[in-house]
This record gives sequence, structure tokens and C-alpha cells, in this order.
Amino acid sequence: MIDCDVLVIGAGHAGCEAAHAASKLGLETCLITADLNKIAQMPCNPAIGGLAKGHLVREIDALGGIMGFQADKTGIQFQLLNRSRGGAVQAPRAQSDKALYRKDMTKFLRSLPNLHLVQGMVTQILKNGNLACGVKIHTGEKLFGKAVILTPGTFLNGLIHIGLEHHSAGRDGEPASLELSENLDKMGLRLFRLKTGTPMRLHRDAIDWSLLKPQSGDQNPVPFSFRTKTRLENKILCFIGYTNAKTHEVIHNSLDKSPLFSGIITGIGPRYCPSIEDKVVKFPHHSRHQFFLEPEGLNTPEVYVNGLSSSLPLETQNLILKSIPGLELAKILRPAYGIEYDAVDSTLLSETLETYPIANLYLAGQINGTSGYEEAAAQGLMAGINAVLKIQRKKSLILGRSEAYIGVLLDDLISQGVEEPYRLFTSRAEHRLHLRIDNADK
Amino acid sequence: MQEDTIIAISTPLGYGGLGVVRLSGTDALSIAQQIFRPKRKKQTFPPRRALLGNIYDFSKNEIFEEAFLIFFPAPRTYTREDVIEISCHGSPVVLEEVVRLGIKAGARHSEPGEFTLRAYLNGRIDVLQAEAIHDIIHASSIKQAKISFHQLEGGLSKKLLSLREQIIDMLSQIEASLEFPREKLKISPKSITKSLDRAVQTVLNLVESYNLGKTLAEGLTLVLAGRPNVGKSTLFNALLERERSIVTPFPGTTRDYLQEKIHIKDSVFTLTDMAGLDKTTQPAEQEGIKKGKKLALEADGILLVLDASKTQTNEDILLINKFEGKKIILLFNKSDLHKKMNVELFKKGHPDLASLEISALTGKNISLLKDLMREKFVPSTGKSEEIILHLRQKLLLESIYSALKLGRNLLMDGYSEEIYVEEIRKAVPLIGELTGEILNDDILKEIFKSFCVGK
Repeated sequence: MIDCDVLVIGAGHAGCEAAHAASKLGLETCLITADLNKIAQMPCNPAIGGLAKGHLVREIDALGGIMGFQADKTGIQFQLLNRSRGGAVQAPRAQSDKALYRKDMTKFLRSLPNLHLVQGMVTQILKNGNLACGVKIHTGEKLFGKAVILTPGTFLNGLIHIGLEHHSAGRDGEPASLELSENLDKMGLRLFRLKTGTPMRLHRDAIDWSLLKPQSGDQNPVPFSFRTKTRLENKILCFIGYTNAKTHEVIHNSLDKSPLFSGIITGIGPRYCPSIEDKVVKFPHHSRHQFFLEPEGLNTPEVYVNGLSSSLPLETQNLILKSIPGLELAKILRPAYGIEYDAVDSTLLSETLETYPIANLYLAGQINGTSGYEEAAAQGLMAGINAVLKIQRKKSLILGRSEAYIGVLLDDLISQGVEEPYRLFTSRAEHRLHLRIDNADK
Repeated sequence: MQEDTIIAISTPLGYGGLGVVRLSGTDALSIAQQIFRPKRKKQTFPPRRALLGNIYDFSKNEIFEEAFLIFFPAPRTYTREDVIEISCHGSPVVLEEVVRLGIKAGARHSEPGEFTLRAYLNGRIDVLQAEAIHDIIHASSIKQAKISFHQLEGGLSKKLLSLREQIIDMLSQIEASLEFPREKLKISPKSITKSLDRAVQTVLNLVESYNLGKTLAEGLTLVLAGRPNVGKSTLFNALLERERSIVTPFPGTTRDYLQEKIHIKDSVFTLTDMAGLDKTTQPAEQEGIKKGKKLALEADGILLVLDASKTQTNEDILLINKFEGKKIILLFNKSDLHKKMNVELFKKGHPDLASLEISALTGKNISLLKDLMREKFVPSTGKSEEIILHLRQKLLLESIYSALKLGRNLLMDGYSEEIYVEEIRKAVPLIGELTGEILNDDILKEIFKSFCVGK
């Protein structure tokens, strides 16, 4: 039996920020993850930042969070987007070395004196009346704390779809969390299904790079973190390619094997991140769709195909690649897949991300219906800070919509709720012109 | 949907051939069944059929009053709820009794305007249409009623919805290019400018239609002006067809001004009779002249009355010059008497003014004058153009106009997208406020509907 102040469940981007914030503020913190080798894993694209997201990272950094600094440290290509436009809509974006990001974050978290890393699959939230007071893990062991921050990502009842086949999983190759969903449901946290997806990863050696258009980073990279003092270096190129009529024909011919179009997937997917079959069906007048080839790191052959997210069967995925110049011989290392998972109705949350039905229980990340590493990290940070403030009987830290993108994000979640995986956009902010990367620390 | 059932007398209070009591709500039918007995026993209440029967007082087990009942089942009703209409004789006591019985059977007396409020809350009409219903009921001319009917049919709403669509389409193009810079979505400032111009023009036309709308709603204001004792008050009475103004053979009888509404076919005029415009030492008359002059300068038109039985004077010419720029009809009055004024010469001197020889006393050419008044003063309403009738609508449209116009100017001055878009996007909630329809997330919805972006 372990006794802690704060228990953080899940070590993704939300969990890492929450655990870091809580321990940094001086409380004994326990970070519990199903796999200690997957801390700060990026299950989808190997990149951090972009419009609104880059703004979030700056704000996280200004509040003492770690995502920005780590992303600078492990980034391999940097771009400031919208350079030709005004300051309010410029935002940094970085390609990350996934493995390096994971390793470095793990090392950093291990170095924190108040933070304890525990491996275990949480099966139950322990309550004392309507107060959360701990968790039970798969071994039967119980951990107690004054606050529980839950960041399970896509693991709650995760169901991976590839073609008409599906299997239970939280992420590719990792078991889903089955018992916890039921437990949350019983506690009065309304659950609903969401869907997201990820494209295939290709082997870099089987791509004919000469047929694709290279894209380099900025000459003078702009860092995320106000603390980064070293000069950032671009170490890789990304490449741009296009689908074509043949690709679209292949996709049309296999729509009967699409779980999305055959109605097997019932969860709602994000509009801003449509699968390639979605794009082809919804935009029949487009003769081609752009995609990016993004290396997942310096020491891995894996290449992420940004733009070809899909839940079509593996053989169709191979046919799609075969139809694209430069990818005819491409080798799929990991297939694209769609995943359905449980999320909690975010209108059950207070502005500190504590749940109304169960006090001292905080939710952050995809469980609240959001999508994106940055959105998760921002919530984890705010949940971590506010859990500590509550334990210390201090006033909560609430950011307004006019003060920060974090304020916009949290307010949208708790007051509107979500119908599809929620992504932050600059246009969601009424005060867009005032929320800038160069004043995020003011 | 509201939970309770409301009841009210829907026809004006007073004695009349018919009076209608209306019920709306989920229990409308069951309440009606308690207070109404069909003539033919065991008859059901068929939808949308007039059913003959009696009002039934269930506490006394007695029937009184013969009435027709019509049952309109939801949702194809005024309120989108079950609606019952009971037509009785137009007797206030009978109608009050029906309402009393309805309340006893479980209904609640409606608040003022509550039937229309429910129609709005249940999504059957928007705010503009609710305003139109009010306007039809209170229309002062058939022309105004027709404009309101067009608005009720959704003419104005449709126009504003298509304006909103146009703006959202524009915004989504710009926002998509801002949010997804890696996708390299191209936007053409030229096409945005063109679209903005179109939107600005649409809004401007609506704003400008307000003056016309106001005229139609409130009537045109006309002032009878002229020197003392030229017969203004006699003409005033002749146009009103009653003895409203005191008339004597002496100049300066009218001191203060008088205002009355007159209807000429489908148009309404507010007619002002005022003291003769002349030098006077009489303080009350002076004050009357001062007010009259002010009214004349603000009026939509002037009936300038001259005494044709007298030779013309410089004062007559001065008066015409004083109202330069206003719409004037020159009236040569007292044309039943011996003409001393050289009317033809006078007309030649003012070829741009409409004129007519009349006699207010005998009624000569008064009906011709009425035609001329409509022809000269009533602005044409055009064909299908929407006309706004409310200050609320006008103020909101002006704000929309300023937002779009400022956005356009910033765009022309070369500002970056996020700057000018800040102004343009203000227009969207304003249109929502105008129609009463607030939709969130419109722009993002459009982005994802019409662009394929994302990883």
C-alpha cells in the first residue's frame, strides 16, 4: 500500500504535465502507467505545435510546464507557421524524435524527488463517500491519495479497427482498460464513444524520395520554451506527396470493407482529421489530396504518412500506396487504424477539471473528449496545479477566455461539451488578436 | 416544448358576432374535452375539422352556449403544440366563462404574446417573423400589412440567412487558410473583396429601406402651409371629410397646429394644419408659427396653399423658396371665386412643382388632389425587395454594415487576414441577434464541410 498526495493515472502528455506540476509544487506524487517504457509516447503524428497548439505550448511553458522545453530539446525540424501573417496567428511547430522525446521525458520525470513512477493497470477508482481517495491496480494493490488525476487517453474500452476486423486495444499493441470504464459509469460519469485514427508508418528505405517534394525547416528556428537558450537545429527533411485518381479508385472500390462506411464504427470522429476514405468520399471534386512524409526520429526507419489516416484493410492500404508515385514499393511497418474509445461528458467537470459527481477526481486529456498532445498537456497541467491548490486549501488557478488559449479550451469543454474529438483553433478564441505566442508569459 | 397548457381569448374584447378562445399545449385536447361537448354523442375530436357542440360546465354538469371547436394537432400549428380553437358568440362574459372553465380544467391564462413566444421557442418562427405578426395586426395600411406578410413568410429571414451563409463561406475560406498553413489553401483577396462588396450592398439596401418602412408604418407627414386666410383649415377639413379645424372668415384663426391621420387608398398621411405664415405680434400665434415652421421643415411633403382670388404677393414667392428642396404641391385655392392671380404665369415660374387649382370650400378637385398626393409623395416600394420596419432591425443592420465595411477597408489597406477577419466575423452573431437564431461553431462547421484539411 502506497500513500501519496496526488495520484496521476496515465503517463501520456496530460499525465506527464500533471505529475510534474504536482511534484514540483511540493506534493508526494505517484504516476501510474500500464507500461513504464511508454511514458510520453506520441501515438499519432511525430510533431508538436501548429496554430493554437503552438500557442498552448507557450502558455504551458509560461506556467512552468514541460512540454515546450522537451519538444525543443528533442525536436528535429522546426517551423514557425504563418510567418507572412501577423504575430497573433504565428505559431511554432516542431517535428519530434518520438523515441528521444519519450526517453528524455522519462529521464526527467525520474529525476524529480517527489515523483514516484509505478507500473500498473488501474481497474478502479476508490471512493470514500463521494470523495475519490485512491485507486486499485490490476494486481489488487491499492494506492491512496488526496487527489486522483485520471488521464487514460484512448485506453478506456479502446477498440482498434483495421478493415472489418477489430480488436480490443488501448493503442497499437497495448491492452485496453476494460474495468475502469464500467467503474466510472457506475460513479455517474456519463460515457460516450469517440473515434480517432492514425495513418500507416512506412519503412524509409522502400520510399523513392526523388519523386517527392522536400520541405525543410526554418533557417532560424523559433523555440517553444522561454527557457530554451540553445540554438535549435533542423536535422531532417519532410516530404510532400499527392494522391491521384488511381488512389481514389482503389479507395472507392474497397468502401465495402470500411468500418466507417459500413456502420461498424459508431463513435464520432474528428472533422478536422478526416481519414483518406472520408476525404475521397466527401470531396469527390478534388482530384488529389496532399500528404506529408514525416520521419519519426533519427534512429528509426519509421516514416509517418500525415494525411493518409485510414481504417481500411491492410491490403487496401498497400494498394493505396502502390498507386502513388514514390510509394509504389513502400513497406508498411505499422498499418493505419481507427480506434474507438470511451470519453466522459466534459460538462460534468468544474473549471479546475475536477468532476462534479466525485470530488478530488480530476480528468484530463482525451477522456474529456479532446484530441491532440498539446490540448492534453494543457489540461494535465491545469488539473495538476489545481489538485495541489485544493489540497493546500488555496484559491484555484482559473484562466479566462480573454487571458489564454488554455482558458478558451477549458471553458469550451465545461460549458459546451464536445460532440467530436475537440481540437483547439485560433478561431475559437474571441480575443485572438490578444492571445499571442510572444505574450503567453505575460 | 413548454410543459403547461395556456388559454386566452384571441379576439379583441368587446361585443361582436364571434369570439375565439384558444388553447395551446400538451393538454389542450384533454382540457377541451372537459369543457366542450360535441352535439353528436360519442363524437371524437377530428383534426382540423369544425366540430359543433356546447360549452360544458363540468362542476355543475350543465351546458351553455353553442360553439364550434377546431382541433389542430401538433406540430403543424401556430405554436407547434396541440392547439384548440373554440369559436363562440362574441360576448365578453361568455368568453371569460370559457376561459375560467379552461383554467379550472388545468390550463393557465397566457401571458401577453405567449402564443407567439411559444411559436418562437418551438422553432416555428424566428424573431423577425414574430415581429411581422405584430406588425400585421397593427398595420396602419394594407401596403404595410403586405410587407409584414412577406416578412412573415420568411422573406427577410431568408435574405439574412443567405447573407449569413455568404459571410460564413467567406470566413471559412480565410480561417481555413489561417488555421492550416501547411495545406497551402489559397485565398483570393479579389474574390473576398467582391463578396464583401455584395454583402455590404445587401445590408445597405436594407438599412435604407427603413425610411420607407417607417413611412409606411407611421404614414407620411404632410404640412399645410401658406399665408393666413388662404383656406388651409378649410382644406384640412375637406381632406379629412369632417369639421376638425375651426374655420372663420378672419385671418389668424388657427394658432396652434393640429394633426390628423388620413387614409388615401392604401396609403396613410399625417396631415398638419398650422397657423398662417406671416408676421404677427400675437405671442400665441407666433409660437404656433414657430412650431409649424419646424414641422414643415421636417415633413415629408408640403401642400403649399395660395389664394387664387387675390393677386400674388412677394410673400408667396418667399414661401416657396423657403421650402426649397422639399416635395411641394402648389395649390391655387378659392378657384371657385373670381381669379385674380395669374396662375399660368405662376406655374411657369416653377415648372418643377406639381400644382392644382382647387376649391376647398366647394370640394372642387379634392379627389384629384388626393391622387396627386399619392403620386407625388408616396415612395415606390419596388418589387420584391425586403423592407425593414423596426428601429431594432435598423440598428443591428447598421452595426453589421460597419463591421463589414471596416473589414473591407482593412483588407483594401493591405492588412493581414486575421486583422480584417476580426471585423467581418462580428457580423455573424449580429445577424443571429437579428433573426433570433444563435448558432455556434458555424465557421468551423463550414471549414470542415468545404475543405479537406487535417492529417
